[in-house]
Amino acid sequence: MSDPINSVVILGGGTAGWITAGTLAARFNREQEEPVRVTLVESPNVPTIGVGEGTWPTMRSTLKKMGVRETEFIRECNVGFKQGAKFARWTTGADDEFYYHPLVQPEGFHNHNLATHWLGGNTSESFSNAVCPQEALCEHNRAPKQIGTPEYAAVANYAYHLDAGKFAGFLQRHCTENLDVRHILADVTGIEESETGDIAALRTEAHGKVSGDLFVDCSGFGSRLLGGHYKVPFRSCKDVLFIDSALAVQVPYEREDSPIATHTISTAQNAGWVWDIGLQSRRGVGHVFSSAHTSDSAAYGELARYLKVSEGELDRLGVRKIPIVPGHREKFWHRNCVAIGLSAGFLEPLEASALVLVEISANMLAEQFPASRAAMDVVARRFNETFLYRWDRIIDFLKLHYVLTKRTDSRFWIDNCDPATIPDSLQELLTLWRYQPPWHDDFDRAVEVFPAASYQYVLYGMGFETQPAVHGVSRASLEQAGQLFQQKCKATQQMLEGLETHRDLINKICRHGLQKI
Amino acid sequence: MSNTVALNNESHRNLKVMTKRGAAFGELTHLVPVVANELRNLVLEYPVCITKDPKNGQFSLCALLGFEPGENLFLHGDNWDAQYVPMHIRRQPFMVGYRNPEAGPGEDKGAVITLDMDSPRVNRDGSSADGMRLFDDEGSNTPFMNEVSDLLGQLMGGMESTTAFLKFLADNDLIEPAHINVQFASGEQKRYEGLYTVNDEKLQQLEADKLVYMHQHGYLQAAYWLSASMGQVRKLIQRKNQL
Repeated sequence: MSDPINSVVILGGGTAGWITAGTLAARFNREQEEPVRVTLVESPNVPTIGVGEGTWPTMRSTLKKMGVRETEFIRECNVGFKQGAKFARWTTGADDEFYYHPLVQPEGFHNHNLATHWLGGNTSESFSNAVCPQEALCEHNRAPKQIGTPEYAAVANYAYHLDAGKFAGFLQRHCTENLDVRHILADVTGIEESETGDIAALRTEAHGKVSGDLFVDCSGFGSRLLGGHYKVPFRSCKDVLFIDSALAVQVPYEREDSPIATHTISTAQNAGWVWDIGLQSRRGVGHVFSSAHTSDSAAYGELARYLKVSEGELDRLGVRKIPIVPGHREKFWHRNCVAIGLSAGFLEPLEASALVLVEISANMLAEQFPASRAAMDVVARRFNETFLYRWDRIIDFLKLHYVLTKRTDSRFWIDNCDPATIPDSLQELLTLWRYQPPWHDDFDRAVEVFPAASYQYVLYGMGFETQPAVHGVSRASLEQAGQLFQQKCKATQQMLEGLETHRDLINKICRHGLQKI
Repeated sequence: MSNTVALNNESHRNLKVMTKRGAAFGELTHLVPVVANELRNLVLEYPVCITKDPKNGQFSLCALLGFEPGENLFLHGDNWDAQYVPMHIRRQPFMVGYRNPEAGPGEDKGAVITLDMDSPRVNRDGSSADGMRLFDDEGSNTPFMNEVSDLLGQLMGGMESTTAFLKFLADNDLIEPAHINVQFASGEQKRYEGLYTVNDEKLQQLEADKLVYMHQHGYLQAAYWLSASMGQVRKLIQRKNQL
């Protein structure tokens, strides 16, 4: 074998770096007699961003594959369960208006499209309530599982809310103690290239040269290797997604036993939206907005009003301002360097796409890991194709939340609906969906980030109109749909009876733990 | 439901306790909690499974007495048709309570024998012709009370070692769901969920040092007993078919 890839060097010790390290090392240790060596280099002086507190359900398999105990993760990372997102005031801006994007798919979704029947049914029930139990679980603050449910198994599909700072530390301990990942704390002072133009080593002050065969850039917004060293250009998408600023704050609960919301609450504002995430001991709240459409001080005021506190009280909580440059690199893998995490790009916190991209990037890297340098360029080309597709789909999906608004009360919402800001690919889907509801075949399922169900929840949650089936609906299909709607009602009732409150389950897990089986 | 008080030889001097078996004493149950140190006797007659306590998700040991709630195939009138009756059944209406339950390891929890005054086994004034006295007229323990005290001692020690045993099994991935599919003579088929047993395959593959540890703590024998007791499910089906 020529030029085997024997060692991977990861630059950056935030969540992206440690998720990548854990995913790679767990796979190498499981499958290889002489596992590829994984080293993570972290500067002791670069603070991690530490925002990004929502995940997708994929995080369950990501952690399980790494050999993490869910009980320990929940105890140590201030974790709450997330059963989707509640979008308030996105459609009309009215105070009491909301819709859900739950994580449970519509009943029978693998082979039956209930959207057709809901559209034809003239029901006043919300789409998500009609087709799945999860909106009811969220509104009643129920946990998505029982204390007797094994780790990572669900009664209702779930993801997590977590403390990103604690999460990075937790993964670091797991990777270094259980997965044999080498951890080097040192400032990188330079990058050494080989004759071929590949990166040969990172020069560090404290540890000399750290050489490797493949380098993963998890250095955050700085994009030290891919952007800084290789100058791979950045592709902005600010013309589509306007959010470019965030004000983030940690808010204590009123009481120690206050309910913990079991979904992300996203509330639309004048020129952006507020995220509200419930952890065990505090909430993480932030206002993201377009600086072209509002000022910092107006955004600050809106955040204070959302939290029902005075601006003075908000000052005391300590608000951090984080700039956002929405977009991504033109490619993610160049020569022997692949970027994962913020170094590859970032859009905005909507729909928690940041961590899921890290997970699926690390996963693809682990699964298609090049055995030799000669194979690397082929894998790199595939990786780039797949992830360019994925970024485009995520951009479309995020933009979808803005273009369906009926709000005309501010330039932000009006400008978002300007056709010039809507990608052609999204425009095409919107045309299609005027005549037929989203279905699996609309997407390449193998590489899709968001399933067709997600598009349905957003479209019909925001009152998008798809014309009823032109050729009508057969009797058999109607009967089957009737059964599915009934199944959903029964499941909802059983879950409401059998599931305890989110806080109660979290307390039990902290006290007793979940079993592995 | 229950009215638990600490036992004392003043207020309970004349009290009598019924020791008969029977449905009237709440013995119509299909699952009964058991402890590891009675496995030797249990496994000769009952299937013993691992179950999860729905209140806290923790594993515990249970003997299977029937196939549905309220079905005890060993109980016929006041006769319990087995050589060995689980301690949890025999201890009724007594239990052990703690004056200082939050005490840490090594500290005295202040264990006391308690009694459920509302149990149908309790005859408060001793007027019943049946039943056993706990204290004699001077307030000293009767031989029956000494037996109860021994039994509770065994049970409490057993509960602690059972917890440690099950924790060891769980930590080493030695527990697996028991897939029990039964067909009765009536043709009725049933599948039981929520029961677990020892994963024999993983036990075979366990590293030597862990096997030694298990052996030294009596866990190895207990694990094989548990696993072998699943064969008693067939006899339980026979009992059901003979009804």
